[in-house]
Amino acid sequence: MASAPRPERAPRLLAPCLTRYPPPPSPTTVGFLSMEEEETYLELYLNQCAAQDGLAPPRSPLFSPVVPYDMYMLNASNPETAFNLNPEVKETSGGFSPVDLSFLPDELTQEDKDQPVIGSKHETKENSESQSQQSRLPSSSEQDIGLGLNSPSLSNPHSQRHPSDTDLVQASPEKPDSNSLPLASITPMSPVTSVSECCGIVPQLQNIVSTVNLACKLDLKKIALHAKNAEYNPKVRFLISLLLTKLECNGAISQSRLAARKYARVVQKLGFPARFLDFKIQNMVGSCDVKFPIRLEGLVLTHQQFSSYEPELFPGLIYRMVKPRIVLLIFVSGKVVLTGAKERSEICEAFENIYPILKSFKKA
Amino acid sequence: MVVFGTTFFNFDSFIGKTDSIEVTGKSVFSYCYHNILPLLNDSGRYSLGDARRPLHETAVLVEDVVHTQLINLLQQAAEVSQLRGARVITPEDLLFLMRKDKKKLRRLLKYMFIRDYKSKIVKGIDEDDLLEDKLSGSNNANKRQKIAQDFLNSIDQTGELLAMFEDDEIDEVKQERMERAERQTRIMDSAQYAEFCESRQLSFSKKASKFRDWLDCSSMEIKPNVVAMEILAYLAYETVAQLVDLALLVRQDMVTKAGDPFSHAISATFIQYHNSAESTAACGVEAHSNAIQPCHIREAIRRYSHKIGPLSPFTNAYRRNGMAFLAC
Repeated sequence: MASAPRPERAPRLLAPCLTRYPPPPSPTTVGFLSMEEEETYLELYLNQCAAQDGLAPPRSPLFSPVVPYDMYMLNASNPETAFNLNPEVKETSGGFSPVDLSFLPDELTQEDKDQPVIGSKHETKENSESQSQQSRLPSSSEQDIGLGLNSPSLSNPHSQRHPSDTDLVQASPEKPDSNSLPLASITPMSPVTSVSECCGIVPQLQNIVSTVNLACKLDLKKIALHAKNAEYNPKVRFLISLLLTKLECNGAISQSRLAARKYARVVQKLGFPARFLDFKIQNMVGSCDVKFPIRLEGLVLTHQQFSSYEPELFPGLIYRMVKPRIVLLIFVSGKVVLTGAKERSEICEAFENIYPILKSFKKA
Repeated sequence: MVVFGTTFFNFDSFIGKTDSIEVTGKSVFSYCYHNILPLLNDSGRYSLGDARRPLHETAVLVEDVVHTQLINLLQQAAEVSQLRGARVITPEDLLFLMRKDKKKLRRLLKYMFIRDYKSKIVKGIDEDDLLEDKLSGSNNANKRQKIAQDFLNSIDQTGELLAMFEDDEIDEVKQERMERAERQTRIMDSAQYAEFCESRQLSFSKKASKFRDWLDCSSMEIKPNVVAMEILAYLAYETVAQLVDLALLVRQDMVTKAGDPFSHAISATFIQYHNSAESTAACGVEAHSNAIQPCHIREAIRRYSHKIGPLSPFTNAYRRNGMAFLAC
């Protein structure tokens, strides 16, 4: 059900912030921005937004209850499988018309530094998090990243299917929709410097798991049959029919929510009275590399009450930080994985706390 | 107090690639010892090289000991299992056998909890598993902990077993091992440390199928289930660790130190053993090596089995099969 692309959206969206920047490309090409251009535009835009103070209004028109979910792109497969998220923020009106998000960078590009990301701030019932920024892990081999990846499949969103479980995020440039509202809910950017001053290393998010309650029973078979590229796993069936429907999505926070919404939209389109309740981030996983080997034996001895290191069981040291309540997996190579966070700030804080400790156990 | 090194075992060769004991290049003790301060020399030099390649004989002996102990343990567990009328050896049986020694039981419980915890964390990171977790209704979370808790609940008469769950006492043996490792690693360079870490990661549980074959449960009627096998792998590892700890103590004792007030009190049997032709030959050849020698191991076992207590004249009657388990 792809409607014609609505390119006017892009200029409208970009207009507020691009006063001094070069005008956006012509609408017909907006879906085909090269990676650099897209990144440029987003950066410019977000730099503007970084100056904004405070939170965006909780009820942006974008996500008000009046706006039906048919705004959203669907790009998900099996309800229970992990999502692949797209860096899409815009919504479409009517059907499955594709949304052009090409102006947004794919934050999973291979850049090492933080990419500020537009995050959707809206929530229906609860404000699950206000994420200031996310940066993505560029080097994970599991993630299939890169903006221009799916450009051939611009017109048909359904053709942009991603292998559901392994890839975290994929780019999906989509056409804009003229009726869609401007993206008003931008998460404020907290300055990057406060995080990275101490060591210059910032943990990058690997994965975010969130759940949302669709509040209706689903017929999985029907979904599997009707939605393209949805896998039907019989095991999942009973779970769904017994419980309130929950979805799990992986990926960046904003995209997590968006993917969830898209998914809810898919379900809705298939006739189920899906709602979007209780979107909650369950877990966030980040990782980074301190770039020096760490002497774990020393660490486990001095921080006995927090750490456990059983090399025959697991090659990494498991460090349970109390404040913030994060679990860190520290490896001899210097790689650190942080998990158990509900907010990105927790991850950064935890890493800042552990870095001096790790430095003291640096293996020369 | 003199410190000494420790050994870590390459379980690959321990279990053997063929039926016979095949000692690979790294040999059984893959990352062996550094004597931080050699017992004889005050200059503080420590030896590398030789000590990193443990003796073949020692490896053979240790394997033999561990194998025997595990088989015996299995058989006792099978008996316990039969008493219950069960068809498989469950972790409960093994816990039951260990009920007497609180410290070791506590160590085992801690190990099980850490295993659960690690699975939980790794599952949280690896999203592929999340789905299966939801499907199973998170039955698997803390599975081992539940097993242990339920079982100890059922057999606990005096409340001391259950008290172990809340017990936060430091495990001295574990502490000693950690300190030893820390001392060793402090002086290693990066390459050595990398090798050391690699060798520490070896365990019986990594090659579960090989371990199973090595144990050779095929002749038994009752076989252990998965969690029981995990515990057995852990017990095997513990046995080796205990043997090493004890052997190092023995080795330390063997050397007479000037000014040691108890040098006159070394037991007669020990001196005899030490002076016997067999052990001298064995020890004499590797007099300059810092590897643990078979004589140390044997002496350690002898001392361990030799219970000195009010009922020691009657000990054989109290030990069902005469074997003192190192791990439990």
